[in-house]
Parts: sequence; C-alpha cells; structure tokens
Amino acid sequence: MSVPDYMQCAEDHQTVLVVVQPVGIVPEDQFFKIYKRISSVSQVSIRDSQRLLYIRYRHHYLPENNEWGDFQTHRKVVGLISITTCASAKEWPQTAERFHAQKEVYSSTLYDSRLLVFGLQGDIAEQQRTDVAFYPSFEDCPDVEKRVDDFVESIFIVLESKRLDRATDKSGDKIPLLCVPFEKKDFVGLDTDSRHYKKRCQGRMRKHVGDLCLQAGMLQDALVHYHMAVELLRGVNDFLWLGAALEGLCSASVIFHYPGGTAGKTAGRKPSISQPADAGKRHRPGAQEVLIDPGALTANGISADTSTEIGRAKNCLSPEDIIEKYKEAISYYGKYKNAGVIELEACVKAVRVLAIQKRAREASEFLQNAVYINLGQLSEEEKIQRYSILSELYERIGFHRKSAFFKRVAAMQCVAPTIPEPGWRACYKLLLETLPGYSLSLDPKDFSKGTHRGWAAVQMRLLHELVYASRRMGNPALSVRHLSFLLQTMLDFLSDQEKKEVTQSLENYTSKCPGGMEVITLPDGLKLPPVAFTKLPIVRSVKLLNLPVSLRPHKVKGLLGQNMSTASPFIYSPIIMHNRGEERCKKIDFQWVQGDVCEVQLMVYNPMPYELRVENMGLLTSGVEFESLPAALSLPAESGLYPVTLVGVPRTAGNITVTGYHTSVFGVTSDCLLEGLSSVKTSGSLVEVIPSLPRLQLSTSLPRSAHTSQPTSKEELSSSVSVQLFNGETQQLTLTLENIGSEDIESLELTSKIVSTKEKVFGEFLSWELEDALSRLPLKSGQAVTLTVNIKVKLDFSGQESLLQDLNDDGLSVTGLPISSPLRQLLKPRPENKTFGSESGKAEYSHIKTLEAVLNFKYSGGAGKVEGYHRELSLGVHVDVEPSVFFTRVNTLPATSTRQCHLLLDIFNPTEHELSVSAENNQDLVLHASECQRMAIQVDKFDFESLPQPDQETARFTNPKQLEEERQYAQGSQINSKLGICWSIISFQRVHVWSKASVEGVLNQLVLEHLQLAPLQWDVLVNGKPCDCDVIADCKAGDAVALEVQLTNRSKNSVGPLALTVVPYQDFQNGVQNYDLGDAVTFIGSNTFFIDAVKPKESSVCVGALLFLYPGDFYLNIKFQDDSAGRELPLAWFTLPSVHIRALDAQPLAGA
Amino acid sequence: MAVCIAVIAKENYPLYIRSVPTQNELKFHYTVHTSLDVVEEKISAVGKSLGDQRELYLGLLYPTEDYKVYGYVTNSKVKFVIVVDSSNTSLRDNEIRSMFRKLHNSFTDVMCNPFHSPGNTIQSKAFDGIVSGMMVQTASTV
Repeated sequence: MSVPDYMQCAEDHQTVLVVVQPVGIVPEDQFFKIYKRISSVSQVSIRDSQRLLYIRYRHHYLPENNEWGDFQTHRKVVGLISITTCASAKEWPQTAERFHAQKEVYSSTLYDSRLLVFGLQGDIAEQQRTDVAFYPSFEDCPDVEKRVDDFVESIFIVLESKRLDRATDKSGDKIPLLCVPFEKKDFVGLDTDSRHYKKRCQGRMRKHVGDLCLQAGMLQDALVHYHMAVELLRGVNDFLWLGAALEGLCSASVIFHYPGGTAGKTAGRKPSISQPADAGKRHRPGAQEVLIDPGALTANGISADTSTEIGRAKNCLSPEDIIEKYKEAISYYGKYKNAGVIELEACVKAVRVLAIQKRAREASEFLQNAVYINLGQLSEEEKIQRYSILSELYERIGFHRKSAFFKRVAAMQCVAPTIPEPGWRACYKLLLETLPGYSLSLDPKDFSKGTHRGWAAVQMRLLHELVYASRRMGNPALSVRHLSFLLQTMLDFLSDQEKKEVTQSLENYTSKCPGGMEVITLPDGLKLPPVAFTKLPIVRSVKLLNLPVSLRPHKVKGLLGQNMSTASPFIYSPIIMHNRGEERCKKIDFQWVQGDVCEVQLMVYNPMPYELRVENMGLLTSGVEFESLPAALSLPAESGLYPVTLVGVPRTAGNITVTGYHTSVFGVTSDCLLEGLSSVKTSGSLVEVIPSLPRLQLSTSLPRSAHTSQPTSKEELSSSVSVQLFNGETQQLTLTLENIGSEDIESLELTSKIVSTKEKVFGEFLSWELEDALSRLPLKSGQAVTLTVNIKVKLDFSGQESLLQDLNDDGLSVTGLPISSPLRQLLKPRPENKTFGSESGKAEYSHIKTLEAVLNFKYSGGAGKVEGYHRELSLGVHVDVEPSVFFTRVNTLPATSTRQCHLLLDIFNPTEHELSVSAENNQDLVLHASECQRMAIQVDKFDFESLPQPDQETARFTNPKQLEEERQYAQGSQINSKLGICWSIISFQRVHVWSKASVEGVLNQLVLEHLQLAPLQWDVLVNGKPCDCDVIADCKAGDAVALEVQLTNRSKNSVGPLALTVVPYQDFQNGVQNYDLGDAVTFIGSNTFFIDAVKPKESSVCVGALLFLYPGDFYLNIKFQDDSAGRELPLAWFTLPSVHIRALDAQPLAGA
Repeated sequence: MAVCIAVIAKENYPLYIRSVPTQNELKFHYTVHTSLDVVEEKISAVGKSLGDQRELYLGLLYPTEDYKVYGYVTNSKVKFVIVVDSSNTSLRDNEIRSMFRKLHNSFTDVMCNPFHSPGNTIQSKAFDGIVSGMMVQTASTV
C-alpha cells in the first residue's frame, strides 16, 4: 500500500467501502451525476434495529489497498456498483462480461455487487434481476437511491452474518491468522501450534471482530473487542496489529465522543435523522464514563459473553486517552517501514481529532511527525497532494502561517522543473490561497496607513512568485497588476538593485499590456483592486494656487465678510481642532476663473535610485467640467522635494474639488486619490470657479523694473516701471492696455496710490486723463487703448540747516519788527562762493530718495461682471528721485513797503552738473556743482485770508492737524505759484525744460508770518498821497502837511481802541537819530491819534496835520501808546510804514 | 551558536531579524514566521491556565531537520525567537534561557531610548552588538 488517503478520518473506521465504477464507455459527467446520487445514500438505517450503516463511496480504489482489508476492514471493498451504458441487446453479453471481470478485481473481499445499465430497453431489460438494474436513460432513473438502499441492506446482512460468525468463534476452534500483505512471507514455516501463535491469532481476530462491530454499528461491542485485542496483542508483542487495535479503540471512542465527525465540514456527516434516540446524550460531559450495561447489550440482541469478559471496566477512552493511544499506535506503526501509509493516515486522523479538541500544539507535533514519514518515491502529484493536505490540517489547527508555508510549497511543487507540464494555473491558485497566511491582502488600501508592518521579505517573495506564475499562465494583465502592487507596497524594502529589476520587468510587461485602473476579476471571483502608484513619485503636499495677482477676481464684499467664521461663538480660542478631513473639505478663500489656466502645485519626491519618468501627469477633479493639461516630468534620482505644477482650465463655473492626480509610470496609469493618501498635506481642495472675465495686458513706454515693491504693501504688483528723475522733474508715461482675453472689457477704472513713502510729496504725483480711454469701451478682444500718465516728482527742497551755518554769518536775522533802516537794496549774490570741502557733507545731499506709487486698473466684463466680479491690474511706479536744488535756508527781509518783503533763499546745488535757477521777475542764477548761493526775491505779501476756507462740515470731521496741513499746503502752493522758481541742468538735453522747484518745505511758521499781509492794514497818506515804500513825500516848509492814517481791519475780530503817537525824527545816516525836533516840526493839533474800536472789514481814519518849519529830510515814526489793549495782538500787525518827508524850502517855490 | 535571532512585535511583524550571513536569509524568515504559530498557540494556552504568572521562556517551539527554534515572549507580547543549529547538541536549555534574558535586557535598553519610537524596527548598534555576540561560534560568556 503506497498511496495514502489523506482525507481519512477516525469515523471512516465505521464505514463500509463501496466502489462505484463505470464499465465500458460512460460519459464522465453522466457518471458523476449518478455517482453523486449514489453517494447521497451515505447512511442507511437498518430495519428492525436502531443501528446505522455508514457507507463510504469511492470511484477509484487501488486493489493494492484492498489487500489491507483484513488489517482494517474499512479498507476492504465490500460493495461494487458498476455503471454502464448499453445501447442494444447485442451489446449486453459483452457488458455483463465486463461487469464480471470488474467484480473479479475485488472478488476476495466483495460482499455484493450491482450493475446499473442505462439505455437498454427490450426483453433483457424486462428481466427481474437483483444484481442488475435497467434504466432507459440517465435522466430516467428515479429509483437509483432506492436500489442503493436495498444494496446497502444486503451488504449489511452479509456484514452482520460475518460479525456474528466471527464473534461467536469459540477459542477452541482453529482461528486463522489474519495478516497484512507484507507479513505473509514472514509466517511461512512458523509453528502454528504454539501458544504464542494462537494468542496472536486470537488477538488479531478480536481486533477484526471489533472492526466489524464498529462497521455494523455496535459501538460498545467494538470497544470491548478492541480492549481485548489490545490485551492479547500486547502479550505477544505483535506491534503492528497492536497499533491497529489501539487505533480501532481510538476510532470507536472518537465516534462516541464526537458524533458530529472530525472531518470538518467538507466531509461532514449528515445530521443523523435516524440515529438512536440516545445519540444526543452523547455530548454530555463525562459520557466517556459510560460503562457497559449488560442489559443494554442483550437488548441489542448480542450474546452477553463479551461483556462478561470486561466486567465493569471503562471501555471508552477519555479524550486525553485517545491522543495517548494514537501516539502509542503511531509509534508501533513506525516500527514497520511498509506501514508508512497506515502511520501517515493515523497521524492525519489524530490531527483531526486534536483539531476538534483544540489542542493545536499536540496536533502540530503529530503533523511534524507526519512530515517525516517516508513513503518512498512519491510522484509529483502525490507530493502536491501531501503538501496541500498538510496545509489544510495546519489551517484547521489554527497554524495559518505554517499552513501558508505548506501551501506555497505545494504551489511550487506544481511547477517543479521535473514536471513536464507545469501547472501554472494550479500554482497560481494555491499561491493566492497562501495570502492570508502571510497577512497579505492584494488591496493597496490596506497598505496606505502608515509604514508597512509585516514580513516583507517573505511577502515580497510571494509576490514575485505570483507575478511569475501569472506570467506563465499567460495573463500579462495579472502580472502587471501584481508587479505594480509589489512595487507600490514593498518599495521601502526593495534594495536599489531590486527596484531596478522590478521596474525593468514591469516596463517589459507593460509594453505588451499596459496597466490600468480597472479591477481585475479572477475566474474564481477574486477581485484584484487597482494599484495606484502613490509612491512613484511620492507626493508630499498638494496646494491649489491662486491665480496670478493680475488675474484674480475681486468682488465688492458686503459689510460683514463672508469668511467670518460662525462655527464658534468664541472670537479666539487657543484650542484648534486639528481635523485633517475637515481641512480637506474646507473651501479655499480664493476663486478660479472659468476659462483661465489654474494651477495646482504638488511637492513630489522620487524615492527611486534612478531617474523617474512620469508621463501624463494631470489633475483629477470633480464638480466642474475641467480640462486637465497633463504634464510629463522627469525626476532625478532621490530628488528630494521637487515642485511640480499641474495645470488645467475649468470650462464651467461652480465649485471644483481637486480629488487627486493621475500619472503614468512605467506604463502603468494610476489614479491617486487624495483621500487615500494620509501623508499628503493639503490646505483644502475645494475652490469656487466664477464665470469668465476679460484679461488686460499692460505695456508701458518706460522700461520695466525688477524692483519689487516694499513687502509691507498689501497688494502685489503685476508689473512695475522705474524711472530716475531729478526732484521737480516731470515725465510722461504712456500705457498701452490691450484686451488679450476672450471677453469684452466693459468697464475700466483707474486709481493711484502712493505707497509707504516717508518723503513728503508736494503736488500731484501721478495724473492722467481717462476719458479718452473710456470712450473706447467696450474693448473687444485683441483691441488696445493708450493712456498717458504724467509723473511729477516734487519732494521737499529743503536742506539741513546745520550744513549751512557758515552761510549765516552775515548776521541777518528774521525779525518781525520793521527795521527802520534807510533804503535797502536787493542783496546782491555773495561774491565768494562757498563750496563744501567735505565729501561726506555732499554725500548727504546727493542721496537718492525713492518714491513709489501704484496705478490700479479695475476692469470687468463678460459673465463675471454680471456676477459682480472684476479684475485688478496694478502697475507699480518706482521713481528714484535725485536731488536737484536745495533751499538750505530761508529768510525774509522786510521790504520798504509793508505790502512787500524780500525772500532770501540759500540755494544749494547737490548735483554734479551746473544748474541754472530762475524765479519770477528775477534773473537766472547759475550754480556750479556743490555750490551754494543766496537768491533774493522780492514778493508781494500774501493775503492768505482770501484762500478758500474749508466748509464747516468737513472741518468738523477732519482732525485739526490735518486741517492745519491742508492750510499750509494751500499757502505753500500759493507762494510757489507766485515765486515760480525753476531750475534746469544746463548740460543736459532737457536743458530747455525748466523744472519747477517749490519752497513749501522750507517755509517755517515765522517766515510765513512775514510773508503774510497783516490783518491790520495801515495806510499813511501825506497830503492825500499814499506814503509807502520808498516814496518820499515832498512838502514845503511852512505849509501844513495833512497826515492821514487809515486802519483797515481785515481780521475777524474788532480791534481797538488804539492810540497812535507820531514822532518825527531826523536820521543823520551815521547811526545818530535826532528826536529833538521840537523847534523844527510842530503839530497842528494833537500829535496823538485815537482810534476807536474797528469792527472786522471796516476801516477808520485819523487825520492830523504837521508843519515843518525848516526844510530838510524828516522821518515820521508812528508809535503806539503803551497803555493800549493792542498788546494782545501780535506786534507784526502794527507794522506801520515809516514816513519819509522832505520839506523843501518855500523859496524856490516862491521864486517859481 | 545561534544562526538566527529575531524580535517580533506584539502585532507579529518583525522588529528585527538577523541570521548568519552565509545562509539563505529567506529561509530563516520562513522559519521564524511559521514558528509564530506555535508561539501564539503557546501564549494562548498559557494565558488560559496561569493568568498573570507567566513564564516568559517558551522553550523549544519546534525542531526542524536542521534547526531548533526557541521562543520567548515578554509581558508586552513582544516575541524573541532564536534559531540554533540542531547539530549543536552542547547547548543546554539553561544557556538558551540566559541568551533570551540577555536579549530581553538589551531590548529593554532599546526601548528606553527616547529617540526610539516603539513599533519601528530596531536600529541600535548596542543591540546589534549583543546579537552578534550570540551569533558567533565561540561561546565565551554564555
């Protein structure tokens, strides 16, 4: 016996073996259909007794194994059912003959046989024969089961008779020696009369009877017989049979303890409908304690003699004992080389029992033993079977890893090189079955959570084998899938060399069969989910990019921002809920525009030790129709983080969600969804797409600059221009606006803003006329308009005082008091030109100031305009302002007239060029580089009161400081326009262009006060002639000179009362003034005038008269009385002109 | 002595596995992997009967033709597996025990390292050293 039946289990000892075989030509499917129907009759309840007969059917059984039938009766073929087809009566004799020949094979053991003939009709079929049944066809055979039932019953009768025959054998009779095939020659010539021999015969026969009892359904009897056999055989050291007896004992006990069977569900018994009533009770614990009840035995119609032999001993083994006895039996079997199959089968049976008992460790020991049992040369097929069964048994005891191991070995055996036709399909199937044992699932999702933890080396090997097997199976799609999976999940464990190999073979495979994202379904229903290469390349972050500044849509937001979070009642909470999932769903607070290219930036990383070519990388989106523009990239080896920008164009408006990206690497296309990638950082993937807007392109006449705006400025610039100008210069900037989008531009606005300059700017920096451009709207696609913007830089022209200390040496000081000096001429420019020796001083003047402004174009059109969106295009204007002239110091000198004064300006030229400076009514002043000169300009005093006052409403809402500034600005510009100071650089091309210089910055409060007309205006009239400036009033000595002093009040309050005293004096022009003129000048009337209160905008006149007694030059000084309330008013208001009167001799007149 | 030493995490994935370089590494992977069946079985069996008082040393897990596989499990269910050559008969049970104890001590040191995050594979030179010491042929300390 060389072929073990791995499916055997302990309860098979209880069964009788029936072979079902085809005779002649029987279609296989029909045969198995009948076979199935036959084998459904697996247990038969015997009439008149409560016993059950179990039948084991085989359609293939080696006669060689049949020879062991005496050793264990369940190995004996006791029944034969032949199935045959017979078309005509002519064939019948031949068929019958064949049937007989077949019977011959098992003749030695056969109890009974049947022949089922299909297809034969006619006379022969009419015959009533017990051993032959005729059926017209395979379909028309309703009573097959019934036939089999009858057949089994007849077997039972034979069995029962044999049992009784053997059981009642008296010890005195000659008992034949039962033996196994290989023993036969050993017993030749043995003394058959020895006690030893007899005992051996007895023991073996007992064992045999035990077997028969077991088969006949008499469990208790069987146990008793087995016990006796064990005793007998132990005495004669007949180990092989002792083992068999022990095994029989075990089997019977197992059947008793585990009526459900040990074979597992595949070979499980039918739940016994017709089992004895006490069957259910067998489950109860302690059932093994049941003793032989002689009464019960007699009730079953069995002679009582067996029970008396055992007495009240325990006849059934406890579960622990079963294993012990199995061990013992196996150890006895192990003594015989030829009993390998028996030993192996016993091991398998024991393991099944242990599996039920859940004693896995002991079971594994049995299995371990089974592995080492050498059955001589096994065919490859047998090896596969053996490994498979080992795997199955390991699986049953819960050793999944071991099971997987053997399954894999079996799989490898299927394709062993010695096999002429390797069974790659079987191999693949077996390999798939090992996956759970290696805790490997083929779903890449299971590997996405963190680092892979498992037996990488083993798993990788398995995957490699799957790849190979599937390739040899001729299913390249499958091998691509497995290889992709290997690459994706085991990447961290692959060595550089392996990575190379795997990718190379992947590329080889995909050249024939590109990998995709579809689920592969295997014929047996297993689904292989798609593998997305999320690690080739690894994506670390996904960031949706806002549109470039110039293309961003803007919307006038409501008073309450939409982005105000209403999720929490707290304004601030230190606890931030970090919920990644939520973050992903979060809407990003910028918008994309329909029809415009939108970008998503990925930070990718190539983990491969060589260059990775990623083709057709694009975005996966949902929500809005999106045209993805795929990119191809090539990442260098171990690249580190590498930014990749994926672009696409949304074709409709709405909300778009970036759900992932797709790639094509090594010929495998993958869709990588972000939700499955926990390692990817993203700040949100949902963004709103608004309807399309036009696009405006801006080009300028000035060169573009690389100057970036100051980081503090909020808005980014789309472009910027830069220009270098001298302070005071003006430049024209021509802008060309072209519509490069598809929508019409329907609205355009332009604003400007000076950004964060510390310099004070005078005048309008940027100015333009937009009307012309606006008249061209709507601007169609491709059209352009031009626009001119004037850039005028006018910064502070004041210089630092400290540097000009040395110019101040002339002792001139600003005083508010009238200097009653004689004629004062305009100061001539100083002859000596002071230059600054020190370079540092010069450097301080030549440093360049910058001025930055932003021109902001707001435009809109198309569908986006309807939604209320517009776009902004901003142009940065960067001007480097070089200093041109500096007014380092300013002074005023009173002019002779109270309505005028002299403005003295120290002008410094910080440039390296020669400058010419001019002012209104003045000659040009030429300044050399770094030269400082003084310029005096005679100006009429200003009446600032006449400037428009800000109305009350605005004055209330603006702060006083601002109001003050505005006022100063207004004053400054008035002064400027009056002065008209211009400069030009002589050597430059723009020589003819006079650039304006302004003095606002240099004018301090004191100077301003001097330049202002006093609110009280005094007019002195001598003889009715106004006497101001240097006018010398002529009069005749001796004549009365009328003196009229008129006060006009321009201030807001009424002034007065005031008292004026007129004091005449003579100036000798040598510093001596003679006030003692009592005898030269006399007053007609009082020399003191009294002016009553003068209301605003009114005037009052005092009239007096003088009489000069001698000719000569006289001066009149009009003084205020000290006791006046006028002290409260500033002194400068009371600047009365000094009156110069020349009294002439009356003679010449008389002479005339 | 030992031809393969492995540390296996609570969740039965390898934290550390090293075998003598001369032989097929994959074979030891298989050996250790399948031995886990026995380890699990032993743990569950012990857990039922003894409860808290547990012998950490599991003894011989199973013998194969060429090797003997010994197991040891810490209270935190981390398993140590040592595979020794079957031909090495001089090795007594006590020696195996002390090897495991040494291994356990060294493993504890690894766990004490604040820079080691539990659950990751062991990459410690000290641990490597101990393991190498056990794998060398000449038994000096054990």
